Amino acid sequence: MIGFAVRRIISALPLVVGVLTLVFLLVQLVPGDPFRRAEGPDVSREAADRLGEAFGTDRPLPERYLSWLANFLGGDLGTSYSLRRPVTVLLKEAIGNTMLLAGLAIALQFLLGTGAGIAAARLHGSAIDRAVGGAAGILYALPSYWLGLLLTWTLSVRLGWLPASQMHAIDAHDFGPLQRALDALRHLVLPCLSLALPAAGGIALYVRDEMRAALGRGFVQGVRARGVGEAGVILRHGLSNALLPVVNLLGLALPGLVGGSVVIEVLFAWPGMGRLAYQAVLAQDEPLVLGCVWIASLMVIGGNLLADLLSAALDPRVREVVS
Amino acid sequence: MTRRGAARAVVPGAALLAALAAPWLAPRPPGLQEDPAGARLLPPLTRAAAIPIGEHSTWIVRSLERTREGWTFVRAGRPGFLPHERIAGPPEARFYLLGTDALGRDLASRLPYALRHSGGVAALAVALALVIGIAVGAGAAFGGRIWDAALMRSVDVLMSIPRLLLFLICATLLGPSTLLLILVLGATTWTGLARVARAQLMALRTSDLALAARAVGPSFARLLVGHLLPQIAPVIAVTAALRFADTILLESGLAFLGLGSPPPAVSLGGMIAAGREALSEAWWVAAWPGLAIAALVVALRSMTAGLLRVNDPPSLQ
Repeated sequence: MIGFAVRRIISALPLVVGVLTLVFLLVQLVPGDPFRRAEGPDVSREAADRLGEAFGTDRPLPERYLSWLANFLGGDLGTSYSLRRPVTVLLKEAIGNTMLLAGLAIALQFLLGTGAGIAAARLHGSAIDRAVGGAAGILYALPSYWLGLLLTWTLSVRLGWLPASQMHAIDAHDFGPLQRALDALRHLVLPCLSLALPAAGGIALYVRDEMRAALGRGFVQGVRARGVGEAGVILRHGLSNALLPVVNLLGLALPGLVGGSVVIEVLFAWPGMGRLAYQAVLAQDEPLVLGCVWIASLMVIGGNLLADLLSAALDPRVREVVS
Repeated sequence: MTRRGAARAVVPGAALLAALAAPWLAPRPPGLQEDPAGARLLPPLTRAAAIPIGEHSTWIVRSLERTREGWTFVRAGRPGFLPHERIAGPPEARFYLLGTDALGRDLASRLPYALRHSGGVAALAVALALVIGIAVGAGAAFGGRIWDAALMRSVDVLMSIPRLLLFLICATLLGPSTLLLILVLGATTWTGLARVARAQLMALRTSDLALAARAVGPSFARLLVGHLLPQIAPVIAVTAALRFADTILLESGLAFLGLGSPPPAVSLGGMIAAGREALSEAWWVAAWPGLAIAALVVALRSMTAGLLRVNDPPSLQ
C-alpha cells in the first residue's frame, strides 16, 4: 500500500509541472504589457514603465517563467496588480471560505446521494425507487446557479428565512463568537444547498445502479443464506462494493465542483477563491489569476490522488493492477 | 423498448425544432422593447393591448376599455386615459404567454432564440471537440508508445484545470465573442472524448476486423474513417451527447457570469442572469430558461441511457 501511494504521488508530479507551465503560458498570451495597457490620461508612460519594472513585467518570457517558478516553489506567488497585496495572503484569506463551502457541500452531497441511492436500490421497483430516480435525475440536470436563484426566491425573498448573500451580517463584528458562527451558518445554507443538491442527484443515481448490481450478485445470496441480517447485507457487503465507484466519481467531480463554486460564490457574494479568481480575471490581474487557477488545479490533482489512494485502500485489486 | 426510446427523443427533438423554427415560433423579435415602462415585468399569461401612439412609439396597457371620448386603461400599474385623436391606429391585442422581462421584452419570443443560440454554440463546440478528440485518440492509439504517453499526459494536464477557470482566462485574453466561446468550449471538451476514442481504438487495433481491413492495403486515413470509426461510432455518439448536455450547462454558467456571447445574442444563461436582477419582483424571468435547460439535459441523458441499452443488451435488466 505504501509503495502504491509513493508511486502514485510521484506520477502526479509531472502533472503539477505541466499545469503550472500551461497556466503560465496561457496568461502570457494576453497581448502587451499589463501596465502598458493601463497607460492613458491618468497614467503617464514613465509611471507605466516604473510599474512594469517594479512588477518585473518588462523582462523576457523565459526569464520571467524561471523566476516565477523559483519564487513559486519558495512559496511566493508575487503581488496582485489590482489589490497591491501579496497573492499568498489573498489566497489564504479566500481558501478557508471556499474549503468551508465546498467541504460541507461534498459531505452533504455524499450523505444525501448515498442514502437516497441505497434506499432506492433496497426498494427496487417501488414508488420510492421511482421517486428517487426522478428527483435525482432532475436535480442532476439543474444548473447550480439556477437552483440557487430558486432557493433564494423561495427561502429568502418569499419567506425571508435566510440571508440571500454575503458570509456575515453587516453588524457581525458586534456579535459574540457563538452568534457569529450561527450567523455564518445561516449564510452558508443557500450556497451549500445549491452546490450540493445537483451533485447529490448524480451520486444517488450512481449509487442506486451500483448497489442494485451488487445486491444482485451471487455472494449476497450466500451472505443472506448464512443468516446475516438485512442491515449487515446492505451496509457491510453491498455498500463496500458499491462505494468504490462512488469514491472515483467524487474524484472526477472535483473539477466540476471547483468550477461550479465560481458561479455560486459570485452569485452569493461568498468571499472565496472562485469569486477572487473571477474578480482577478476581470481586472486582468495576472499574478492573482495564476495563483487562483494554480491552487484550484492543485486541489483537483490532490482530490484525484486522494480518490485513487482511497480506492486502493478499499480494494486490494486496484493496488495489484497498477503495480 | 423502441417505443420508450422514441419517447425519450421527444424533448430533444422538440427543442431542436423550436431552435430551428425560432423566427416563426417567436411572436415578436427577441430584442423588441415596445414599451419598457408599460410592459415591464408582466406576469405569464397576461392579456394586454398595444396602442400605437405617434409614429414610433407604442404603449402596452391592460384592462383597455373604449369610452365615448377615448380609451381608458391601466399602464404600469396606474390608470390612464387617451382621447381618440392621440392614437395613431386601432389597438392590437397582445398575449404574453411567458410574461415579460424588466425591459419589457416578450419572454416567449426570447426563449426559442436563446435555445437556438445556446444549442448552436454547444453543438458547434461538441463538433469541434469530436474532431480534435478522435484525432488525438487515434494518434495515441496508433502512434506508438511515445506519442501515446505524450498525448495522454497532455490530456491529464488539461483535465486538471477546471474548465470554467480555463475559460475565464481565455475570455479575458481576447474579450468575449461567440466565436471564442465556441473555440474554447470545444478546446476544453475534447479531452474526455479523446480518452474514450483511444480506449476504443486500442481495443480494436489488434482485432480481426482491423487485420482484415489492413490486408486490403488501404491508407491509414481510409482504415480509420472507413473501417474503425464506424465500429466505435455508437460509443462516441453517446459520449458526445453527454458532453453536449454538459456543454449546455457550462455555456449557460458562463453567460450567467456575463462572459458568454455579447448582448445582441440571446442565450439561456443570459436570460437567467437578467432574471436574477428582477428576482425580488418576478420569478418568471429566471424560471423559463432554467426549466428549458433542465428539461433538455434530463432528456438528453435519459436518451443516451436508452441508446446504451440498445447497444448493450446484457445491461437491460
